[in-house]
Amino acid sequence: MVDTSAITLSENRAVERARIRKERVRSSLIDLIVTLGTIMIALLIGFIVTLAVGKEPIKAYTALLTGPLSQVNRLGNWIQDATTLILIGLSVSIAFQARQFNLGAEGSLLVGALTAAVVALYVPLPPVLGIVVPLLAAMTAGFLVALIPGWMKAYLNANEVVSTLMINAIIANLYQYLLINFLTPEGDNVRRSALLPATSAFPLLADIFNANLGRANLAIVLVLIAVIAVWVLMRRTSFGYEVRMIGANEKFARYGGINTRRVIMLSFAIGGAVAAIGGVHLALGVHNRLILGISAGLGFEGIVVAMLARNNPLLVPITGLFYSYLRIGGDIMERTASVGAEIVQVIQAVIILLITAQFVIEFVRARRNTSGTSSSRTAAVSDATAVPSEQSRRNI
Amino acid sequence: MIEMRDITKVYPNGVRANREVSFEIKAGEIHALVGENGAGKSTLMKILYGVERPSAGQIYLKGKPVRINTEHEAIALGIGMVFQSFMLVPSFTIAQNVVLGNEPVHGALLDNRAAINATSELAKQYGLVVDPSAIVDSVPVGMRQRVEILKALYRGADVLILDEPTAVLTPQETRELFAAIRQLVKTGKTVIFISHKLREVMEISNRVSVMRDGQMVGTVDTKDATETSLARMMVGREVFQQYDKPPVNRGAAVLQARDLEYVNEAGRQVLRGVSFNAYAGEILGIAGVEGNGQTELVEVLTGLRVAVGGTIKLGDSDITSRSAREVRQAGVAHIPEDRLNNGVALTASIEENLIVDRYSKPPFSRAGFTSLAAMVKNGETMIEQYAIRAPDGALPVGSLSGGNMQKVVVARELSANPQLLIAAQPTRGVDIGATEFMHQQLIQQRTNGVAVLLISADLAEVMALSDRLAVMHNGQIVAIFPDARGLSEEEVGLYMLGVQLQTQAEIEKNW
Repeated sequence: MVDTSAITLSENRAVERARIRKERVRSSLIDLIVTLGTIMIALLIGFIVTLAVGKEPIKAYTALLTGPLSQVNRLGNWIQDATTLILIGLSVSIAFQARQFNLGAEGSLLVGALTAAVVALYVPLPPVLGIVVPLLAAMTAGFLVALIPGWMKAYLNANEVVSTLMINAIIANLYQYLLINFLTPEGDNVRRSALLPATSAFPLLADIFNANLGRANLAIVLVLIAVIAVWVLMRRTSFGYEVRMIGANEKFARYGGINTRRVIMLSFAIGGAVAAIGGVHLALGVHNRLILGISAGLGFEGIVVAMLARNNPLLVPITGLFYSYLRIGGDIMERTASVGAEIVQVIQAVIILLITAQFVIEFVRARRNTSGTSSSRTAAVSDATAVPSEQSRRNI
Repeated sequence: MIEMRDITKVYPNGVRANREVSFEIKAGEIHALVGENGAGKSTLMKILYGVERPSAGQIYLKGKPVRINTEHEAIALGIGMVFQSFMLVPSFTIAQNVVLGNEPVHGALLDNRAAINATSELAKQYGLVVDPSAIVDSVPVGMRQRVEILKALYRGADVLILDEPTAVLTPQETRELFAAIRQLVKTGKTVIFISHKLREVMEISNRVSVMRDGQMVGTVDTKDATETSLARMMVGREVFQQYDKPPVNRGAAVLQARDLEYVNEAGRQVLRGVSFNAYAGEILGIAGVEGNGQTELVEVLTGLRVAVGGTIKLGDSDITSRSAREVRQAGVAHIPEDRLNNGVALTASIEENLIVDRYSKPPFSRAGFTSLAAMVKNGETMIEQYAIRAPDGALPVGSLSGGNMQKVVVARELSANPQLLIAAQPTRGVDIGATEFMHQQLIQQRTNGVAVLLISADLAEVMALSDRLAVMHNGQIVAIFPDARGLSEEEVGLYMLGVQLQTQAEIEKNW
C-alpha cells in the first residue's frame, strides 16, 4: 500500500508540480485583480457620493485622483505622509502576523517622538550622532512601552485591544502634559517645544534636490531599511517563524515547543520600536520640534496600511503609498473643490470596508477548516483549495 | 416502518462515516442506537433527517422508497430530530418557539393565545410539562429539551430522533425524560434514542442497534442483551489485523512517572497519582474510556500542562514541569490526539509544519537566521520517506487529506529520533491504509528500541499493538498487565469501566 503510493507519487510529482505552479500564478493574478477591482469599485462609489454632494464633481474627483502629482510640493507632502504611514504599517504588521490585534502603534509613535526630541534638545551631539542617538533612544522607548501590553497579553491574558488603547490614552496625555509644562519655552505662546538643534534634523529632500518638496526628508532611507529589516525578521529568522506559526495556530506552536508567551510579548515590543521610528521622523524630520497632536491619528491609519498589505512587509510600502496618496488627494480635493473632508473620509472608508470584506471571506473560510462538528470538519477540509494560502506562499 | 438499506456516506475528503449500513425501525418502538464517538450514529441519523445526503443506499418509509434531501422533507414525512445543542430562540416564549415556522396567525400578527393553547394541549397530551408563556432563556435545560420535542411533535413528527438526549440532563431530569418517552410511545410515536450510555439504553429501549467504525454491528432485542454484551459489540469482537511483531527486547526504563496529580482549570482533579514506567523496545498501551484522564496525562508528560504533584523522569534526568521544548529536546516525541488543532497548522506549508520542533537548530537555523533551502530539502525528504501524498512541500497542510495530515505529524515526530514516543489516539479519523501505516511505524519504532506509549480509546487497537497494557479509569491506573497477548477484551473492559481493580501491589509489580 505504502510502496505503490510512493511509486505513483514520484511518477505524478512533476506533473503535479507544474499544475501547482500554474495554479499559484493564477491565484496571485486573481488576488491582484480582486484587489484592483475592489479599489475601482470603491472609487466608483466615491465618485457617486461626490456627484451627489459636490458642485463640481468632475473637478473635485480629478483633484482627488491626480492632486498629489500635480505640484512638486504636493508630491513632497505625499512622500512625507507615506513615510510615517509605512513605518506604522510595518509596526502593526508584526503583531498582526501573530494574530495579536495590537493597536498600540499610536502610543509608541508618540513615545518615539517625545524621546527623540528630548534627547536631541538636552544632549549635545555632533552631526550624524545627533540623529542616530535620538533614534536609538526612541526605538528603545517604543520597545519598552509596547512591552507592557505584550506582557499583559502573554502572561495575564489581558485583552490587547483594551490594554493598547488604554496605554495610548495614558501616553497621549503624558505627552501633552510634558510638552505644555516642561518643554514649551518661556514666553512662547504656542504650545510647542523649542526648535531642535540643526545637527538633529533630517536633511530635507527639498535642499538635496533643490525643489519645493515640502518637509519630505531623508527619513525615507530609514523606511527602506525598516522594510527590509522587518521582511528579513519575519521571513528569514527563527523569530519570524515563531510569530507566523503562532498566527497560523497558537496551540500548534505551543505543542511544537515554541515559547508562545515570549514571542507574543516580543511581537508587540518590536512593533513598538518600529512605530517609534515614525515618531522620530515626525519630530526630527517633519516638524523639527514637538507640537501638540503631532501624531494626528497616524498610528491608527497604519493599521489600514498593514491590513491592505495583508501584513506582508514587502507590500506595506505599496499600500502605504497608495493610502497616503488618497489622504493627500483628499486634502487637495477639500481645498480646491469645496468638497468636505467628510466625503473624503467616506471614500476612504468605503475602500477599507470593501477590502476588509475580502478578509472576512478568507477568515470564514479558514474558520470552516479548523472548527465545527466532526462531520462538518471532515467535509470542510477537502474544501480547502489546493492553492497555497497567504502564509505559505514563501519568498514574497 | 422506516428502513435504511445499505447506506454509505463518504465525505469529500475520503472519510467513510457509514459503510453499507442497514437499519430498520418498527412503528411504536423505542430503538436505541449505540456506538462509540465517531462510530457513525450521528451521520446515519443526519441522513435520515435530511441534513446529510447518503453517497449510496436507499431509505424506505412504510415500504416505499423515499428521498430526503432537506430537513423540511424529513418533517413532511413525519420525522423529527432533537439535536444535542438546542435550536431555540432564547428570547421567545416557549409557545412562540414551539409554533415557530408554522405560526397560527391573527391577521398579520402572531396569535399568541392560539400558540399557547396549541402548546399546552400538546404538552398535556404527551405528558411533557412546560410553561408555554415562559421565556426560553429563563427555564432549565430539561424543559428546553421538552420544548424541542414539542416543536417536533407540533410539526407532526411520528418518528422522533433524540441525539444523546441525556448528556445534558441531571439524573432527575433523565427520569422525567424517560417517562415522557414512554408516554410518547403509548400514543403511537416511535423514538430513536442515540446514546453511548449503556445503562440508560438497557432501561429505556425495546431494541438496540450497535454501530462501530461506520458499520452496523447488529440489532438485538434489549431483553436479550446485557450491558456487557452490548459493550462487546461496541468495542468490537472483530479481531484487529494481527501484526507480526518481533519478540520484545525490553531495555531500560526510559520514562518513570510517579504519583502524577493534575487539577484542571475547572478545579476537578483529573489525575490521581498516576505511576508507571515505559521501557525501551516496548509498546506500553494505555486503554481506557475517553475522558478518564488520558488527555491530561499525555499533556503533563509532554510539558504542555504542569502537574500539581508527582515526578517525571526521562532516563536519568528529571523533566517534571519542564517546558514543551525542553521535554522535546530531552528526547520525547508526541503524536497528539487532536491533530487539526494541535498537530498541524493548517494554513502553514507542509515544510513549515515539518520543522516546528527543530526550526531553531542547524541546519534550519544559523545564528537566528533560517535556511529556506534546508527547510525545503527536509520537506522533500519527508514527503518521499513517509509517502505523504503531496506534490509540493510548499502547499498548506490544510489541503491534504486527514491521513496525509497524520503522516506529516508522524514524519516530523519519528524523524526527531526520540527515546520516548507518545502516540495519542493515533488512528482516530484516518482510513484503513493510514491506520495500517501508523501501526507499522509504531511497531518499527518499538523494534528499533524506542519506548512507545500508546494511548487509545480503541480497545482493539491497543490490544493488537501493546506488549504491556495499562488501564486508566477515573484518573488512575487501575491495572497493568505484563503481557497484553493473553488478555480478552471483556476482561480489559471490566477494568475500563471501573468494575474491577487490581491491588496497588499488583500494579506496582508491573510498573
